[in-house]
Amino acid sequence: MVRKHTRRAAKAAFAIALGVPLVLGGTAAASHSAAAKKPAIIVGTKNFPEQFILGQLYKQALQAKGFRVKYKENIGSSELIDTALTSGKINFYPEYTGVIVQVLAHKTSPSTAGATFVAAKKFEEGRGFTLLRRTPFYDSDAFGTLTTTAKKYNLKTIEDVKKVSTKLQYGGFPECQTRITCFKGLTDVYGLTNLSFVPLSGISIYTALDQGKVDAGDVFTTDPQLASGKYTILTDTKHIFGFQNVAPVVSKKITKAYGLKFAKTVNAVSAKLTLKAMIAMNKAVIIDKQSAAAVASAFLRANHLKK
Amino acid sequence: MTPGASGPVIPNFGHASSCVTQNRFFCTDWFRAHWDDTLQPALFEHIRLSAIAVAIGFVLAFALALVAYRVRRLDHPIGLASDFLYTIPSLALFQLLVPITGLTVTTVEVALVSYTLLILYRNTLEGLRGVPEDVREAARGMGYTRTQSLIRVEIPLAVPAIVAGLRIATVSTVSIATVAAFVIPEGLGRPIFVALSTNVFKTEIIAAGGLAIALALTADGLLVVLQRVLTPWARRQRL
Amino acid sequence: MILADQFRPGTFVDAFRFMGDNLDLLAHKTLEHMELSGAALGIALVLALPLGVWLGHLHRGSFVAINASNFGRALPSLVLIAFGLTILGIGFWNNTVALVVLAIPPILTNAFFGVDGVDRDVVEAARGMGMTGRQMLLRVELPLALPLVFAGIRIAAIFVIATATIAAIAGGGGLGEIIVNQASYRLAGVVAASLWVSFLAFAAAGLLAVAQRALSPRGARGG
Repeated sequence: MVRKHTRRAAKAAFAIALGVPLVLGGTAAASHSAAAKKPAIIVGTKNFPEQFILGQLYKQALQAKGFRVKYKENIGSSELIDTALTSGKINFYPEYTGVIVQVLAHKTSPSTAGATFVAAKKFEEGRGFTLLRRTPFYDSDAFGTLTTTAKKYNLKTIEDVKKVSTKLQYGGFPECQTRITCFKGLTDVYGLTNLSFVPLSGISIYTALDQGKVDAGDVFTTDPQLASGKYTILTDTKHIFGFQNVAPVVSKKITKAYGLKFAKTVNAVSAKLTLKAMIAMNKAVIIDKQSAAAVASAFLRANHLKK
Repeated sequence: MTPGASGPVIPNFGHASSCVTQNRFFCTDWFRAHWDDTLQPALFEHIRLSAIAVAIGFVLAFALALVAYRVRRLDHPIGLASDFLYTIPSLALFQLLVPITGLTVTTVEVALVSYTLLILYRNTLEGLRGVPEDVREAARGMGYTRTQSLIRVEIPLAVPAIVAGLRIATVSTVSIATVAAFVIPEGLGRPIFVALSTNVFKTEIIAAGGLAIALALTADGLLVVLQRVLTPWARRQRL
Repeated sequence: MILADQFRPGTFVDAFRFMGDNLDLLAHKTLEHMELSGAALGIALVLALPLGVWLGHLHRGSFVAINASNFGRALPSLVLIAFGLTILGIGFWNNTVALVVLAIPPILTNAFFGVDGVDRDVVEAARGMGMTGRQMLLRVELPLALPLVFAGIRIAAIFVIATATIAAIAGGGGLGEIIVNQASYRLAGVVAASLWVSFLAFAAAGLLAVAQRALSPRGARGG
């Protein structure tokens, strides 16, 4: 008799102990979404410093105009953050137009930056999202090596790499391996069979180049390290890297809920992002080790987008 | 400053010292300049993440241990589950939880609580089981009910083992919480990941890493003091 | 940086399909993983086991032995991997050294307490029989200390194998390279690689159990 009660009590206690956090979590989430009338603005970013700066710029500018913003930094590559977008974990993030067209939509690159933006916008609008105005600056991938390496093999364009007789190690973010705007483009479009891919999951391509872990790699054209002269970019004669201006991808629910003021605030920020500005901000964060939040704040203040 | 008709104003963001640009071992100027905007917030976030995990883990572990104390049959499956959980790399566990609980603190906490729970459960249960049978009999002989015996005799005697478990759990939690930055940009792991991804910025890695180690050791030290305070009769023994 | 891949019960099925489709990738990564883990564990054994056993035999240095484990636990693996990379640059040693540092405490502490904790009466009896210190250590103390010693080695092995996954962010290779790379391998790949890590850890524990049984004196095998 006593045993039966004890066992039942034990089962109950067990269920409670394990169920409590789940229930708490569930009710917290439910009450939160019930209380909000408008959908929350959730800004996400990809996983490198330029994206952190862009995320902070948009986030702080929106907050300065009274919008409530949730912030999910450092989500991952385009493929991953796109899943976050479509599954509703975020509803706003800054993307590169060429990446949308070539990587997410799997189409060939249009021949101008404007056409790329239009094609990207069309793709997103077919899925329930839209693109706000694009930035003046662009940031494409590029084929980078140490200047000493370029001199050693006499490399000026990417096609010159074909002449190199030894196998070269090419480093980049893991997703670069399957992208036509990256390693796949090098092997398929340029026909470079003497490259072997080295995925970099934590350290930067510049660290890998400096320490001899790779011979060449995927760099970004706005990287401040390129200004030092230590690294060289090879010319992309076949234009595999596309046109890569930044445009905020936003859920239509958000643009509908928040209207013109929202779009205006975001576009005002984008308009100020010239190549010079972006490179300066990248340098501040990557070389001078300032925090992305502080750099974004200083920039917004200087341009009267924030008090 | 770069003014322009319609171009943006690019403020002076400040230049790094030569110590930073040459990436010397430790630059105190950077440390001091970025304590407020980078290191201290990360430290506080880390404390918060760890404290919540240990608190929740302790409550759940205590409840589970009490249950297993009465129902012996549950101990073996729980033991097996915990052995398996410990072989799952924390990086993987975080990723598995995100689709369920999102890119949120909840995800991190569920994982941290899981790891903490098992240490605390085992130690609490062993502490309770370690109470000598004759002490329990004496309590019963004195007329205590099972609950009274539990509250007044068995649990107090289990305190050394419980606090020992709390020590291990707290230090482990502080340690694993560094990896939480893989999911959400919080905690001392965040400056480390950022520093690794630019040029292996030594100062930031040493500062954040040092803070994490110091935090773990401080927590351990505080719990040793707690242990001594709660068990004056055990002061002779070293644990 | 992470994920957002959908997670359904089907993900586990996908994980096994991933294993089937990528057997050579997983095998290659497992080999790298075992190289790193094995090297670290081996070096840690060479450094910590003799030291712990010897200190335990002399009943000296208990302070070191006790606090080695406490201190070791306070060293976050991510921090050690980052320190290794900072000081030694990319290569084989930065991650190996980090893992060695993590593996030493449990081996040292358990070796010490295993030998130190051998029943004093048994030790006295051995001395009474005229055994030298070395004979006592090899014939009496070590065999009796085996369970605890092996427990320490097992803890270290599991810890090293699980922690070696983080080394992937510092160029360490191994199964961690799949686990940090949800972008390329999707959640199914991450789950698959993670299951292989768990399997490796259990296999290592199993091997150690076999070794323990082989080395245990027949009389003490029940314990």
